[in-house]
Amino acid sequence: MTLKNTQDHLLNAILSGSRKEAIAILDRWAGHCGYRQTISELLEPVLETIGTLWVSEKISLAAGYLAGKIAEDTLLKAHEHEQAVPEIRGPVVLGNVEDDYHSLGRKLVGIFLKTAGWRVIDLGNDVPSESFVDAAVKNEARVIAVSAMMFSTAKNIAGIRNELDRRGLHGRIKLAVGGAVFRIRPELVAEVGGDGTAVNAMATPALIDRLWREADVQNIP
Amino acid sequence: MFKTSHERIAAAIQGQWSERPPFALITSLYGARLTGCETQKYYRSSERYAEGQKAVVRLTDPDILTGPFALPLEAEAFGCELVFLSDNPPNIRKPAIRSIADVSALEPPDIDSAPSIVYMRESIRRLVQDLGHEKPICGVITSPVDLPALILGIDLWIETLISDEPLAQDLLAMTSGYFVSYANALFRDGASFLAIPSLFTHPSILFPDHVHRIILPTLHRAFKAVSGPIVFHHGGNPLVPYLQKYMDLPNVAGFALDHRDDLDRARSILGPGRLILGNLNGPTLSSLPLDRILGRVDGILENRADDLRFIFLTAAADIPFNTPVETLKAIAERIRSWQRKGQT
Repeated sequence: MTLKNTQDHLLNAILSGSRKEAIAILDRWAGHCGYRQTISELLEPVLETIGTLWVSEKISLAAGYLAGKIAEDTLLKAHEHEQAVPEIRGPVVLGNVEDDYHSLGRKLVGIFLKTAGWRVIDLGNDVPSESFVDAAVKNEARVIAVSAMMFSTAKNIAGIRNELDRRGLHGRIKLAVGGAVFRIRPELVAEVGGDGTAVNAMATPALIDRLWREADVQNIP
Repeated sequence: MFKTSHERIAAAIQGQWSERPPFALITSLYGARLTGCETQKYYRSSERYAEGQKAVVRLTDPDILTGPFALPLEAEAFGCELVFLSDNPPNIRKPAIRSIADVSALEPPDIDSAPSIVYMRESIRRLVQDLGHEKPICGVITSPVDLPALILGIDLWIETLISDEPLAQDLLAMTSGYFVSYANALFRDGASFLAIPSLFTHPSILFPDHVHRIILPTLHRAFKAVSGPIVFHHGGNPLVPYLQKYMDLPNVAGFALDHRDDLDRARSILGPGRLILGNLNGPTLSSLPLDRILGRVDGILENRADDLRFIFLTAAADIPFNTPVETLKAIAERIRSWQRKGQT
């Protein structure tokens, strides 16, 4: 079976909710070339397609979730088989903003960032603004990625922006924001002081990549 | 000219002319602000809740009042841990269980003794007792197909549906039994109708196959066993693209639509017999300029001028705590002063 055919089968398996079939396809491919190569040549292009479909609202949150879990499973196997995807970028500090407890989006973002080779420092739910900035400074992260599901909690992201500005880190540490509310109200990104957002979890690695490059590291004390 | 909210709502249900559509703003939370009540007390004391809603009546005089719009309280009755925020309804801090292995151990709460359910029921009874002669009282309860996502968390519920369908079916049977008991108890407590936010019926959330094969049949059975009218609430997503799927659900008197939904399209799908409720975006009222808000109010009223089965309602979640009092007052006054043409 050609790579293109296999990609199509994998895509169909994920979109139809068939985890077993999707994993079997990946395992078979890895039997020939290993998990690391399987991730780069088979899984990543399929995830890219799923991301595009997700943006255009042609697939469900459940399909996005399943894609994330399959990516996580494959990443784990790559580690187990000593063919780990090297963490070549980052770190990125990730967390749900203070008062927010909706973890699904954050978890998916973490999975897709790791699949793309980012080191992720996940602070969990309900993270105070100071903790985000402390973790970013301590680990020399150039990007903080913060998740909020609802309008009421998204407003708390402004606290992280204020904390970054107060410590003179404006432009040096970029603030990525995400969550359902930002899709409904894109203007909220600027209102809370975000430097960018992604339309879904799968699009986050590209956003982080851009913000990481834009961060002004020249002037870090 | 109709004198009472009951008459105005009855006219809308029957498709009869009234001088303006009935209206309600989602002000479950806002009552806490108007009475200066801490949310932790407000969402624990039915007396404080009723005081808040009386303050809402003094401010906006809506045609419908709702019981607490605080679905996590139901999840609490199943064992979830809540967090109380100062300017929001309670939220779920920790789900009731952490793994699929624990799902089968879940049991439904006793609707006569679980404290958070008792609070919701007492709130309805108080509202009925104090204000029910003036206004219909609406209970807001969680759909049986959304409850698993609250109790388990969204990820574990999706996981259960994908990986262990019989277990998911068992869980839905349990939540359905609870839902029917609770819904019928609220009708016995005096609720005129129930609003049921439904997010996990949506093909943008779950696999369409799960929606068709598992979710909708479950919802059909549960709604059929409910002893009063239901308003199917959009739950945060546009409903119109999928409205056709929900039309055959039993006991659904109307559909509360998202602010992004096209009301004309909704009417053409539903036909003339069902109520349409909508669709001013409630959560944005705290941040938009008043003239823009009133422009939107005017637009909705003009759009539905000939639609006798229309009820003006704010869409989505509660109107934010920090929304200016003047904004709500102005919206209510604008709707009340609007005159439908065609009869004197």
